[in-house]
Parts: sequence; C-alpha cells; structure tokens
Amino acid sequence: MSKSLTLKLAVNGASHELTVEPRVTLLDALREHLGFTGSKKGCDQGQCGACTVHVDGERVLACLTLAAQVEGRAVTTIEGLTPEGADLHPVQAAFLAQDAFQCGYCTPGQIMSAVACIKEGHAGSDAEIREYMSGNLCRCGAYPHIVAAVREAKEVMS
Amino acid sequence: MTTDILPAKVKRGDASDGGASLGSRLSRIDGPAKITGAARYALEHHLEGLCHAVIVQSTIGAGRIGVIDTTAADAAPGVLMVLTPDRIMPLKSATTWLDTPGPEGPYLALTNVINFMGQHIAAVVAETFEQATAAAALVKVYYEETDAIATYDDPRSGEGMALDHLAVSWGEAEAALAEAPVRIEATYRTPREYNVPIEPHGLVAQWSGDKLTVWEPSQWINGMSRTYAEWFGVPYENVRLVSPFIGGGFGSKAFALAHGAIAACAAKMLDRPVKLALTRPQTFTAFGGRPATRQTLKLGATEEGKLLSIVQTGANETSVDGVWGEPLASVTALMYATPHLAARQTVVPVNTVLPSALRAPGENPSAFGIECAIDELSYEVGIDPVAIRLRNYAEEDPHAKKPWSTRQLREAYEAGAKAFGWEKRKPEPRSMRDGHHLIGWGVAAGTYPVRRTAGEAMVGLFADGRAEVASSGIDMGQGTYTILAQTAADAIGLPVDQVEVKLGDSALPGAPVAGGSQLANLMTGAVHKAALAARDELIGLAISDPNSPFRALQANTLSVADGVISSPRGGEEVTIAELMRRLGRDKIEVLRDTLPETNNSAAEKHKTYTTITRMRSPTEGDYSLHAWCVHFIEVRVDEDFGTVRVSRVVSALDSGRLYNPKLAESQWKGGIIMGIGQALLEEGLVDRRKGRVINNNLGDYLIATNADIPDIEVISVGVPDFHASVLGGKAVGELGIVGVAPAIANAVYHATGKRIRDLPITLEKLID
Ligand code: FES
Ligand code: FES
Repeated sequence: MSKSLTLKLAVNGASHELTVEPRVTLLDALREHLGFTGSKKGCDQGQCGACTVHVDGERVLACLTLAAQVEGRAVTTIEGLTPEGADLHPVQAAFLAQDAFQCGYCTPGQIMSAVACIKEGHAGSDAEIREYMSGNLCRCGAYPHIVAAVREAKEVMS
Repeated sequence: MTTDILPAKVKRGDASDGGASLGSRLSRIDGPAKITGAARYALEHHLEGLCHAVIVQSTIGAGRIGVIDTTAADAAPGVLMVLTPDRIMPLKSATTWLDTPGPEGPYLALTNVINFMGQHIAAVVAETFEQATAAAALVKVYYEETDAIATYDDPRSGEGMALDHLAVSWGEAEAALAEAPVRIEATYRTPREYNVPIEPHGLVAQWSGDKLTVWEPSQWINGMSRTYAEWFGVPYENVRLVSPFIGGGFGSKAFALAHGAIAACAAKMLDRPVKLALTRPQTFTAFGGRPATRQTLKLGATEEGKLLSIVQTGANETSVDGVWGEPLASVTALMYATPHLAARQTVVPVNTVLPSALRAPGENPSAFGIECAIDELSYEVGIDPVAIRLRNYAEEDPHAKKPWSTRQLREAYEAGAKAFGWEKRKPEPRSMRDGHHLIGWGVAAGTYPVRRTAGEAMVGLFADGRAEVASSGIDMGQGTYTILAQTAADAIGLPVDQVEVKLGDSALPGAPVAGGSQLANLMTGAVHKAALAARDELIGLAISDPNSPFRALQANTLSVADGVISSPRGGEEVTIAELMRRLGRDKIEVLRDTLPETNNSAAEKHKTYTTITRMRSPTEGDYSLHAWCVHFIEVRVDEDFGTVRVSRVVSALDSGRLYNPKLAESQWKGGIIMGIGQALLEEGLVDRRKGRVINNNLGDYLIATNADIPDIEVISVGVPDFHASVLGGKAVGELGIVGVAPAIANAVYHATGKRIRDLPITLEKLID
C-alpha cells in the first residue's frame, strides 16, 4: 500500500504533478497535497456533498473518487469556477445576493452542484431544483435561499 | 499567520437594497471568501512538518481495557507514535466553565476505564492521513467488559438524580390540579439529537517551546484557550487559538474536548505540528448532542380553557461520569399565566458520552411539551388553538413576577395567523384533505431568553481612512463580521466597505461564548462604544492639533459622514485620511469594554471572557427579557403510507431590533429547518445491548435535505428593546427552532386525529 504513484492531474486548467499512495482520494489530493482547500470534507463517505467538484464537467463526489481515477480528465474546483481575476460566476453572485449560506462550509459543494444542476437541465422548477440539490446537505438550513439562488442564476445564464 | 479574511480590494456585499447602515439588508461581507473557496477553515492550515493523528474508539459500552496491543500499528509504515492510556502524557485538570475546579487530576485524555461505546482509547500519529488511518485499524484491544446501561428506558437506570436548581414552583399546584374542572395528562419524549455541523470537529496543534497555537473551529475562543492553558500548565497568554471561520457548531464547538487534548499532547510529544480530524462517525461520540428527554405534563383548567395549574415532571439522560441537565421547565414556567405551577426533573445516568448543548438547550424540548399540551387542552375544551393561547397570555413573567421588557407575542399571533390564513381552518381533525393527502394546520409558540455578558472590542482608524474592528468573538454564520462592520461604520461615519473586521483569534480583544444567542447583542454594544470613542478621539485631535484645518473651532461641532469631516459653519471638508495625514498619525486605536466601570480589572475581564459566571440572567434587573415567536405550519399526510410532508410555514418572530434583517431571517429559517428535521427525521438510534449509536453517519442519522423543505415565510414583529441590549436587539439564532416540532405535531394531529407525543413523527407511528 505504501508504494507511491506519480500522477498528473489537470485541475482548474493547470497541470499538477504529485506523488501519492494509490489510496489517496481526489478530495485529499486536492486539500492536502495541492492546496485547493475550497472543496470541503463533511463526511468522507459520500453522504453530504460538501466535496462536490466537476470532473469533465460533471458533478462528482471527490471523497468517493481516487485521485488516480481522474488522471487525464479535467477537474474543476470552486477555485477554478471562473478564470482568475474574473467576476463571480452567476451562481456565486446569486448565492451572495440570496444569502444562500451561513457558515459557508457546505457552500463550495452547493455551488458546484448548482452549476451542474443548471447545466443538466434540472433547474426547471423549484421542485426540480430541490430534488436535484438534495445530495448537498446544509445544516445551517439555507435550502430555500439556495433554491432562490439557483433559480436566479439559471435566469441570468439563459 | 494572518487572520485577515478579505483582501481589501474584494467587493463587499451589495448594499443597493437600502444602504449599508445597521438595520439594512447588506449581504455578508465574509460572503465573497466563502463562495470562492478562499475562506480558510481550521483544518486547512498547512504547516511545515505536519503529521496526522487518527483516533481509535472503544467497541464496548462499559468496562475497562485489559490490554492494548499496538505491535502491528507501531510497525506500520509511516507511524510516528501510537498513543494509549498508558502512553499519553498526563495533563492538569482544568477548571470548568462555571469557574469551579475540575475533577481531581491528573487529566488523561485517553483512559483504560470505558464508560461508553465510542470513547477515545488510542490515537495513531503518522506521516500521512492514509497511513494513520490504516494503522489505527491495526490497534488490537482486549477488554474486560461489564454490562452497559444503554438508555434510560432500561429499568436498571432507575429514577435518576433530582436537579433541584431546575425545579420551579409557585402556588399549590397539586391541590389546584386536583380541583380543576378540566384535567389532561400526557407524556412527551424527544430522542437523542446530534449537532452534526457539516464541518466535522478537528484541529491543528503546534508547539513552539511552551507556546501552543491551535487552529480549531471554536464558538468560544477565550474559554477554550483557558482550558488548553490549564491542561498544559502554561500561562493563558501562551495559548493562541485561531478560528476565523467555523463550519457550523450549533452548541457543539464551545469547549476544548478530549480530541483537542490528544492532538496537543501528540504535538508536544513529537515536537511536530499535528492535524487531527474526527471522522464523521466519531463525531457522534466525541461529544454529546441533546440528551433524550421525557416529561409528563398535567394541566388543570376551567371549562373555558383558562389554566389553573401546571404540574410537570421530567427527566433527561446524562452520562455516568457527568451531569448535563436539559432544563425542561424553561418554557413551561414562562409562556402562560397560571396561578399554580410545579415542575421538577431528574437526570438519569447511562453509558453515553456526556450530552451537551444543541440549539436552544432546554427551551426546545420544553416547548415541545407545553406547546403540545396546550393544543391538547384546546381540543378538550373545544377552543381554537390560537384563542386558547391568547386566553392564557402572560401579561408579565409568571415566574419572576416582573414585567416583560418587550413581548410582541400577540402581534406575532396576529401577523402569523393573517399571513397563513388561519381563519380558514376547519377545527375538527381529519376535516381538511386534498385527494390522498390529509391536510393539517398547527400552531405553536416559542421563546428564548436574552442573556448578557460583557465583551470588548478594538476599533482602529488608519492613515488611509479605513477602520478596523477586532475581537475574539466569532462568526459561524450568524453574520458577526457583517453587523460589526455596519455598527462601526455607522458610529464613525464611514462607508461600510471601509471597515475591516477581524474575529476569532485569542490574540484579539476578548469575548465570551458565542452561545445562548448573546454574541450579536453584546458585541454590537462593545463595537458601538469603541467606535464612538475612536471618532471622538479623531475629532478631539481635529480641533486641538495645530496642523488641523479645524484647529480654530472652539467646540466640537464637527460631523463625520461617509468618511468626510466637515463643520456645520462651512469651510473646509476633509477626508479622514487627509486629516490623519495632516495630524501625522498613522493610526488611532481605541479599546473599550462593556464591563461595569467599578469592576473592570484584568482579572475580572479574564473571568468574564473565559467562564460563564458573569453571564447575566434574563431576569436580572427590573425586567424579564425574552425573544418570542409563533409558527403556523401546514402538513400533508399521505393517508395510505403515513408519510408526513411539511408544505407551508409562516413564522412571526420578535427578536427586537434586527441589525441586518437579511442575515437574521437566514438564521430564523435555519432554526425552523432544523426544527422540521427534529420533528420528522432526527433520532439517535441506540443499540439496547451495548449503547452503540447505530446510525452514526449522515446517511442514517437523517437531517432535513433541500427536498424536505418548503418555502418559509418569516415576519419580524419585533421593536427595539433597549432594556435587552445597547442597540435594541434580542435573541435570534436559537429562537427559530423553538416551537417548530410542536407546531408540526399539532398539525399532524389536526390532519390525522393521531397525537404523536414521541419525536420524531415517523410513518410507523401514524399507521399502526
Ligand atoms: S465529504 Fe464527500 S460526500 Fe461528504
Ligand atoms: S452554510 Fe453551513 S452547512 Fe450550509
């Protein structure tokens, strides 16, 4: 198990090389090895959604993905949602305007899920948004504001 | 290390909807950091030489460790150290939050005696997290097991111990009850409930000589620093606790806990920084949530529904090695006018981790009892549930016999009922339906006291015209950063985006616990005072300094607005930055506290910020200070399946003046949503044999998800209450949850005719 792998990961448009054990998850690779601490660890067992990132544009739980599985695929984290120096992404702006978070710990995962939810075409109604955002838990209880933010962002984006 | 939360150039929240001053709906100023991933939470601090600790927990419910065999773990790759009860360094016993001595020392963060399943018994430290996790699985433990008492439903747990300080009585309650023409009696139960903030507990600890730095999510920087200092026998100043962002706490992040001691011990013994993250399952036994509670309420009333007597007996679980009393009479003895009342309760020790605070400890289960019972009484006497509450409205505090400072509860009933459409309710159970769905409308009230402790704040004005607010008080999502910036901006006369706020660091001026919904009120008071003093100092210099354009003015008639100083007599207008330049000052810094001037020594400050002995009760003084709320809730119950959905919520709340309605509404809704989960989903399931919490993860311990929550309308009916706080606010954060579960239980009764008195309200209870 201690035999290490050298991986090349494409994160937020840049290539990163790291040497890790094969059992290192994508989430720990991002947080502990590459400094992308925007992705959060809420459970480490696929139950909360705080670690949601995009792999090739689709939402994925980084805690249930091994770093080695995403070699050659494009990983996007909250830090790379918009190019550096650019304005906030419409979903981020809507989260701020709607106060769709409190402690902020579930928030990067919610935002990554929300971007995907809109792109998937699952933001057609409030009921649909609720359903397709239910993999992301928020203990602060920002849900109604998250729904409002997704609705608002969807309008801005279309 | 830096605690700056925002680079100066980041655009702050959008204030276009009504300016930025206190009372406006400014977006949170720490928002940009949180939505971009820039906000650094405790475990995100990377240090040179960092190693990782993973905890091993007991797999029996009671007994002792015979042997721990660490041979395999010691030899596993990357392992630096395996801590066991015999290897961990003994610490000194720390004083309690009541400023009383702790248990006789030494304090061992790992012990051979096992009091509950899931107790920390070992810790493995390794170069990487993966290595520590793998080696932790290799630790072999041989136990000498004894019988565990899993819950207070086990007859061997007995009646428990009376908590006399929680007993309340007035009049002749038993006699009045016996004579009452109408009597009802019922027992209400709530299960173990867990805080489960989405950020699990953990810390990074680093020693440098005899100085300890801890990055750990904290609701109480000063209190936790004190515990760390006492454990390690170092001066208080030698501990630095840093916690600028906290991923939720809800009561669970106020104390230094055993895992913190373990990480700090490991860091000391290895002389390397150590990161320790509890796994999600470990968080269910590393600290306690709300204990299971049961209470029997007997109400005596007239035929017209006027209360004559309330008799309550209650109990909650505690651990075998500590006492946590969940005050079950806190709402019972406050909400309604009754000439007679008697309430007493016990705590029943079982093999569990010591329970602790979860959002509105006491008020929450207390309201579940009395707000269901009054609803039962309303059906018994045939009176509308709102009408019976108004009939028994308490015009003054029935216990303290003091006037309320403010109580906008009538207004709350009125506004809530109107917005909800309560007058369209058909009174009989099972009388409203929509196809398969039985519709139920329920109501319940809630309350939370106004607690008060002094705090202090530093306000600085800088040569560039910007201001800075600094305090060890914290923001776990309540909005502290934002409202303190608003407070300072108003008091000084600055645009809010010129104010920077630093929080959550023991190196900053002190603050008491962010609990009991007190922090916003007391810190706005302290910042207001310090900011006014800073402004006064600036103006004093402006009229006295030979280099000031205002030096000729005889008296202070200057005004400061939008960062510009001007004289009403016309003449020169200068910015604060320009004045500072002319005065040759690079900063003006003012520290102010809200302690009484007769008693504000350094020792007194320390006691105020690190214990709760200086917290003033809501009835200290001439008035009784409380926040109030009423929830109107609609449920839809599937007649065939017994599934309950909350389909509509209208809540009217009196938290006094709101410093920022946008953020206060978020907190209220967050409380209401936690209350919906409590009513329908949340329950710690305990294995009756060994006391294991079976559903110790987020997939099995169900909290509300987005799809469980309808739109929620909140209505503020508060008025500024200057008896309650300097700037007129009352409790916000804990208020919203109080009364939600009984409103749902009452709605379920109205829908189905079934009275569920045992939370959560799950389908098997409805279809049996
Ligand atoms: S951390 Fe990945 S789902 Fe919770
Ligand atoms: S904002 Fe705190 S958990 Fe969602």
